[in-house]
Formats: sequence, structure tokens, C-alpha cells
Amino acid sequence: MNQPVSKHLPLTESTYYILLALISPKHGYAVMQEAEEISQGTVRLAPGTIYGAFSTLEQSKLISMIGKEGRRKIYQVTEIGIQVLLGQIQRMEIMLQSAERNFTNWQKKATEE
Amino acid sequence: MNTEIIKKTKWFWAWQDEQEETWLSEMANEGLLLDKVTFPGSYQFKKGAPANYIYRLDYRSLKAKDRESYLQLFADSGWELVGEMAGWMYFRFLRGKGKTPEIYSDTESKIEKYQRLILYLVVFLPIMVTVLPSISGRVGIFSSIAEVLFALLMLLYGFSMISLIRRINELKRS
Repeated sequence: MNQPVSKHLPLTESTYYILLALISPKHGYAVMQEAEEISQGTVRLAPGTIYGAFSTLEQSKLISMIGKEGRRKIYQVTEIGIQVLLGQIQRMEIMLQSAERNFTNWQKKATEE
Repeated sequence: MNTEIIKKTKWFWAWQDEQEETWLSEMANEGLLLDKVTFPGSYQFKKGAPANYIYRLDYRSLKAKDRESYLQLFADSGWELVGEMAGWMYFRFLRGKGKTPEIYSDTESKIEKYQRLILYLVVFLPIMVTVLPSISGRVGIFSSIAEVLFALLMLLYGFSMISLIRRINELKRS
């Protein structure tokens, strides 16, 4: 993995869902709604937090403003943003695989005893 | 019927914003709805029916081009801007039955608000230590008074810095 991607990892849960929501272009409130929906209600973002996160992500070039819809700014994830998301997903896969392996070993031992 | 305007003066430091929010809610419960902030510490209320408003204060130095999208995002989430003073944005939300709504959903972004205030103070410091003493040097016989005022200002500066840092540490522990 190249340096610019790994320096953004791991992502916080909020940032992960923001980037994931922004795979298709959206304004801030639409991101709040989608994050709540796709996280099955586990991640609820408030406007001040979203606003700050958007500024930070825009500065680090993970998202960019692609237009306006009335007063609302529309953002979308950038190419680097996609790479960072993929890097995060890879890390999560490792986490899941390691959990699966260790739990399987543990269950196997438990049944042997 | 004319709406009755009531003015109140009450001082809150920047790190006491939660107390200020609570006070504004108490006022709304008594039918005093914040209409605008006319000066730091000076509040103008409209007398009306008691309402269950909750208030939240954000601090931002917004560029003109970012302002409308910022306010729109808050409006979309149900927050109405009712006042503005020196970078402080006063929002209200009519409280329903659900959970108390917030303008920050994590501690990090709440801490960043106080960090922006600290940054503002840091930017202000060079002005204080270069411009102010040179002014006091010019006023002749009043220079000793100016020196005392300058010393008081520096004390206030230090006090504000320490209080803001303490507030951040409090949030980090919570």
C-alpha cells in the first residue's frame, strides 16, 4: 500500500460512513441520512460534526465539491478517497478473518475437552 | 398585538457555553424566546408562549462563501439560527419526545470548537504584544494607566487560555 493511502488509516467509524455515502454525489444532510440508514442506526451524525469532517476531508483531498444544489454544496469522494476506503475495507477483512480463525480454534478446543 | 421585547444582560465566558445554552432554554420555558444577541452579554428576547426549545452554540469564523451552505446544513437538520455574535452562532431546536438533538455527535468535533477559539486567541497575541504597548507609549501621562490596563488584558488572556485548555481536558476525560 502506498504512503498517501496508509497515512489516512484506520478511519473512524464516522469518516468511514461519510466516505462510503459519498461514493455517489450528495450534500451534507443526505450524508447524515444515508449514514444512519446504512449503519443500521449505529452511526448518527450531527450537523456540526459533518461540517467539520467535510472541511477536513476536503483539505486532505479525500472528497471534493463537485457542484451546488441551491444553497447546498454537493460533494463526492475522490480517487484517493476511494483508495483509502478500499484500504480500510481490506483492514476490516483482516479483522474479520482473524476473529473467525481464533474463534473457530477456541470452539474446536472447547469441544475436544 | 405588539410583541413585547425584553432585554437581559448576563455574562458567560466562552468556556461556559453549556451554561449559556441551559440558561437560554430556561428563558424559553418561561416564554422568553431569544430574538437576537445585541452585544456580548446582551440578549434580546421576545415574550411569547413558553416553548420547549433547546439551544446550542457553535463557534466558527465562516467565510462569506461558506456561510449559506453551513446554515442550510443546520436548517436541514432542524436547527434554526436565532442569533450571532463575534463568531458564535446561536441555534435552537424545538424539542420533541425523542433523544436530545445535538450539533456535535462526537467528542472530537466538540473539542475542535474550543481549539478554534484557542487558535483565535493565538492569532490575537502578536497584535497584543506589539501594537498595544506602542499605543500606551504615545499617550504620555496616561502611560501608567495604559500599562495597568495592558497588564490586566494579559491576565485576562492567560485566564482565557487556561480555562479553554481545561475545558478541552474535561471533554477528553469524559
